[in-house]
Amino acid sequence: MKLTTFAQTLHDLGLIKDQGLSEVILGHQEFSRFGKLNNDEFLELSKRAREMGLKVIFEWDVLMTENTFGGLANKIKLFLDSFDSLRVQDPGALEWSFKNTSKPLQFIAENGNHNIVALKGWIDHVQGRMERIVLSIELPRLTIEEYVKQLKVPCELLGLGRILLFYTPRLLLSPLMEDKFSYHETINAIGESEESPHKGFPIVENRHGTFMFHIKDFCLIEFAQDLSKMGLGFFRLDFRWTEMDLLKIVKGLCANSFEGELEAFKEKYPQDLMRGFYLVNKTDVLFPKLKNHRLQNREGNYIGEVMEAEKGSHLAILVKNPKGLSKTDKLRIVHPKGEIFEVNIFSLRNLSLEELDFIGPQKMALIQFVGGVWVKSQVFYQ
Amino acid sequence: MSQVLPEILAPAGSLDKLKVAVLYGANAVYVGGQKFGLRTAADNFTLDELREGVAFAHERGAQVYVVLNSFLHDKDLLELPEFVLFLEEIKVNAVIVSDLGVVKTVARLSNIPIHISTQASTLNVEAAKFWKSIGATRVVVGRELSVKEAGKIKREANIEVEMFIHGSMCMAYSGHCVISNFTQGRDSNRGGCAHSCRFEYSLDMGLDTEEKKKAFFMSSKDLEGLRILPEFINEGIDSLKIEGRMKSHLYTGTMSKIYTEALRYYHEHGNFLSDDLLYWESELKKVSHRTYTNASLIEKAGAESIFNERENSTEAEWQMVGTVIEASPNCGIVIEVRNAFNQGAELEILPFKGQVINIIANEITDIMMKPLTRTKPSTLIKLPYKAGVESMQLVRQKANS
Repeated sequence: MKLTTFAQTLHDLGLIKDQGLSEVILGHQEFSRFGKLNNDEFLELSKRAREMGLKVIFEWDVLMTENTFGGLANKIKLFLDSFDSLRVQDPGALEWSFKNTSKPLQFIAENGNHNIVALKGWIDHVQGRMERIVLSIELPRLTIEEYVKQLKVPCELLGLGRILLFYTPRLLLSPLMEDKFSYHETINAIGESEESPHKGFPIVENRHGTFMFHIKDFCLIEFAQDLSKMGLGFFRLDFRWTEMDLLKIVKGLCANSFEGELEAFKEKYPQDLMRGFYLVNKTDVLFPKLKNHRLQNREGNYIGEVMEAEKGSHLAILVKNPKGLSKTDKLRIVHPKGEIFEVNIFSLRNLSLEELDFIGPQKMALIQFVGGVWVKSQVFYQ
Repeated sequence: MSQVLPEILAPAGSLDKLKVAVLYGANAVYVGGQKFGLRTAADNFTLDELREGVAFAHERGAQVYVVLNSFLHDKDLLELPEFVLFLEEIKVNAVIVSDLGVVKTVARLSNIPIHISTQASTLNVEAAKFWKSIGATRVVVGRELSVKEAGKIKREANIEVEMFIHGSMCMAYSGHCVISNFTQGRDSNRGGCAHSCRFEYSLDMGLDTEEKKKAFFMSSKDLEGLRILPEFINEGIDSLKIEGRMKSHLYTGTMSKIYTEALRYYHEHGNFLSDDLLYWESELKKVSHRTYTNASLIEKAGAESIFNERENSTEAEWQMVGTVIEASPNCGIVIEVRNAFNQGAELEILPFKGQVINIIANEITDIMMKPLTRTKPSTLIKLPYKAGVESMQLVRQKANS
């Protein structure tokens, strides 16, 4: 497993080289969400990186609407001689890069892409040009292990860095700054809400929009050796919000992590750390609680719903089943709280209060009142 | 007029709402089954309801699209094939998909047309070409696009294009927000969004003052594109989507009716030089909403598109009173009451076409004909019959009246 990281300065490059990494990701300010390099700086840093023997990866992770995309994509051709691989996130960027360059491609599949069919789909689409796929940090360990085995190309995973929660192209902080803002400047803020138990979300506004991060940074350093053994290709370390000087310590911990050293590192690290969903992802277990399933069960023998329950008088049932409701039908009525009532029909009337033997679909049926049945109870044939 | 008109595509969170949308004029509806969509808390459709809903819509010339727009994990994907085969059997007109794995699965198992959900954030011609190359017939483009950009995508990628014209909006690029995942343990891209973007935040912006800025800075105003209809038509946009499967019957009916009527007027007259424009706009305001914005439909959304207010400050000039259950000279108008009203209340019944029907509720009875002076929610009441009133029509009154 190789380590990979970002460089923003010559100092960064030196540290990367010193630690024996073989590649570096460079962020141009127009293509990379947090890239700071202008044309000249990109070219210079790229040249120096290559002189150091580092492979250079051009990052294009800004999402671009058509007007921006059309104007900017061709600009990449200016840099084609200055990087080795092209890393993209937008399917449009992937498509353009596939058709307009011959560079090896890396696809950032960090949003969604939580199934093997999707991941294989991206790889197959570019017909042998996919050099690497960047997996989502929402994937649990067992899934990562399975993907690493099944995918034909090396996989990369974030090992240490900020967790991006939210990305919009709209500028959300500068309107709050009144006259203290000039265009293209980066604005940083820390946010908290009384409606959230988490306090201290880092928020950044720059030329590409507004980004909110988790209060804790993502860290899988303690699992680096495990990931290496399972065959993960690349482990990404993102020091763009902390200090590149941490690289030396982190590299050491990845190679040989002793508990005491790791705890010391966590203490020293400027943010709290978390491992996200690495051990387990249960982000769908709460879904059944989001609605009353007794109201949702409308399959099979479903007749309709109680629309009115008038004590001592009647229940009004909206008949939804195409078979309608006959006076001889035996009913099972399920209360919203789950209580079940088995009911024979003694009286069946329509809204004109005529006593009938049958009420058709999409009509209201009035039957005798049944104690304990409420509005919204669901009615079934027994 | 020779221009092809876009379809009006309405949300249908339940079978009842599907019927409301179709009866009020929507050309197409989008619905969700019990799984695979992004509205876990909505009623959604059982298999029987999907079958009935498709039949109901098709009988009236409307199309039904089924959302499969979650980003599925492997175990979810295993459950998908059976549902896809069912959807093909009942002849849904398309599925709306975000995840490449779902696209591949649907394409492998069926011939159902595939629409790429806005959740996939299709933002440019090349992205549309990509989705077309793997079998999509339509892209629901990202809400960050202008109508002109969407028109260019349609022309250059040669694919159907659908745009949102109305409703609530994510502030984030759709599919690129995981606040709920990491802060509430609910996968927003599998239907668990907790709407954290609507919270008020205290922001320490490093200003000289110690005071933190309090703001609903991530909350977007609601989209409203009525006056932009000519641009949508001129750019050849195929479908105009109304957001809101979780929203009320009144919302579904009003939006379907007003956008359909406006489109029809423009088609017949070639302009909006009608007093009806103001009427349509007033109708859109009668439904609960955040302040409206054009967002990015004309130019990139700016600071004015932020809804820096608490959620309960949404405007609701009118409220739904109920739904007409039956209407005939024999039994009068039977209404299922959702919000109470008093004897003498000035009610408006929204017909499927044309101007509202005004009723003063002087004579109210329960369904056993006992006179009432005030109605209660979750009851059925009767009013004297009035011509033009039909079952499934929506009844409203001015809020706080």
